[in-house]
Amino acid sequence: MNIETMERPMQIAEAVKAKVSIENLAFYYGDSKALKNINLTLYDRKVTAFIGPSGCGKSTLLRVLNRIYEMYPRQRAEGKVMVDGADILDPGQDLNMLRAKIGMVFQKPTPFPMSIYENIAFGVRLYERLSKEEMDERVESALRKAALWEEVKDKLSSTGLGLSGGQQQRLCIARTIAVRPEIILLDEPCSALDPISTAKIEELIDELKEEYTIVIVTHNMQQAARTSDYTAFMYLGELIEFGDTKRMFTHPEKQQTQDYITGRFG
Amino acid sequence: MPQHIVQKYDDELKKLSTMIVQMGGLAESQLASAVEAIVKRDSELAGIVVAGDAKIDALRTQVDDFAIELLARRQPMAADLRIIVAALRISSEIERIGDYAKNVAKRAVALNQAPLVRPVHAIPRMAALVQALIKDTLDAYITDDAAKADAVWARDEEVDELYTSLFRELLTYMMEDPRSITPCTHLLFIAKNIERIGDHATNIAELIHYAVKGEVMKEDRPKSDDTAYAVVNAPGGTR
Repeated sequence: MNIETMERPMQIAEAVKAKVSIENLAFYYGDSKALKNINLTLYDRKVTAFIGPSGCGKSTLLRVLNRIYEMYPRQRAEGKVMVDGADILDPGQDLNMLRAKIGMVFQKPTPFPMSIYENIAFGVRLYERLSKEEMDERVESALRKAALWEEVKDKLSSTGLGLSGGQQQRLCIARTIAVRPEIILLDEPCSALDPISTAKIEELIDELKEEYTIVIVTHNMQQAARTSDYTAFMYLGELIEFGDTKRMFTHPEKQQTQDYITGRFG
Repeated sequence: MPQHIVQKYDDELKKLSTMIVQMGGLAESQLASAVEAIVKRDSELAGIVVAGDAKIDALRTQVDDFAIELLARRQPMAADLRIIVAALRISSEIERIGDYAKNVAKRAVALNQAPLVRPVHAIPRMAALVQALIKDTLDAYITDDAAKADAVWARDEEVDELYTSLFRELLTYMMEDPRSITPCTHLLFIAKNIERIGDHATNIAELIHYAVKGEVMKEDRPKSDDTAYAVVNAPGGTR
């Protein structure tokens, strides 16, 4: 790698296309400012990891990306979040369409108390009218993409709650994929999972990035290093450093990044 | 750098660097003793040096085991990762230095059985230079001083120059008196070994630069070892 690209990670390859451009973003919980002047680009069909200590704003930033924060009072965002050229913070933005386009998977698996099949079909019905046959296909394809099909194909009518934690999380990913999003937000998707389930989710992330732009929030530095193409390090509501993951974990530019990822007192 | 939150991690990195410095110190004194064995024609001392190399080899194994253990247990990132990877590679550089010092000592035994050759004083001069390189490299290592490592790296040129002039000198002696061929050949190899030790010291300097700065040195090192092209004409100009 030449020096030029090491120092300018955001210009590594012209072929990389911006999917989301976050511009001068600020976020408030009531009077408390949780995000300060965030400027960040998320690249199309790449995995971007958000890392940083608890309370640094990484989950908040993720929550802005599909405006899920609007479900809570006194929370507001300022600035712009351009997705394919349109500002999703625009008051006129249809939130249902936004959340179909930008899916989210949470820290704890959140299957609905219904069958495995219905867990997936339920979300699809909110957006589309499909025949029984089409729905069957959609469910199967989502489960296959989430690497769960082989494990559940003979028990699609059993409850989703009967699955293991790792399977439940993959079910949630299948549910997200089924509505055909373009961006998938993963909020610490493996923190409640054992290493084997974690490995399966990581393998899945690697496959999903062929089709989707992925953002993952993780406390596990090794996971960020393993799964992502780009890493953003946040601290106290600010974006401290963003760059190519390889460089971030071998030779970060900022002392704060270095101290955090090596486990030092900053 | 600030301390790790897990204090034991700091202790472990400290232990790793202590092992490296200990290894380097041993290699440095092996070279000093090997050269002393030449100067004082002391074959007993040479024997001690030959036997002593095993200690460096053993330390190398210990350093590598410990570094691999750290990689597995700490899964180091950024500067920590570079420090540990550099230690792995520095240990193998020092191990090579030890091998060369051992070879110098072996040749000292052979030399001591032959008549004294004049230019023997150039060898300890070269060795003193190289010893200083090793010492300064180790100082740069223990203090994370990339500037000092860079300086060592540039200084190896002097060693190369000395080696080239010694090479020419020894060839001349051999032409003048064929009986000097055996000791002069040994001296030539000894000089070459010492010159190679200097090269390994510069490799270590490069690794220190990488560990501290996170980037590989850009320039090619200036080299003055021209012996590959050296031709010395026989006395009297006959061909």
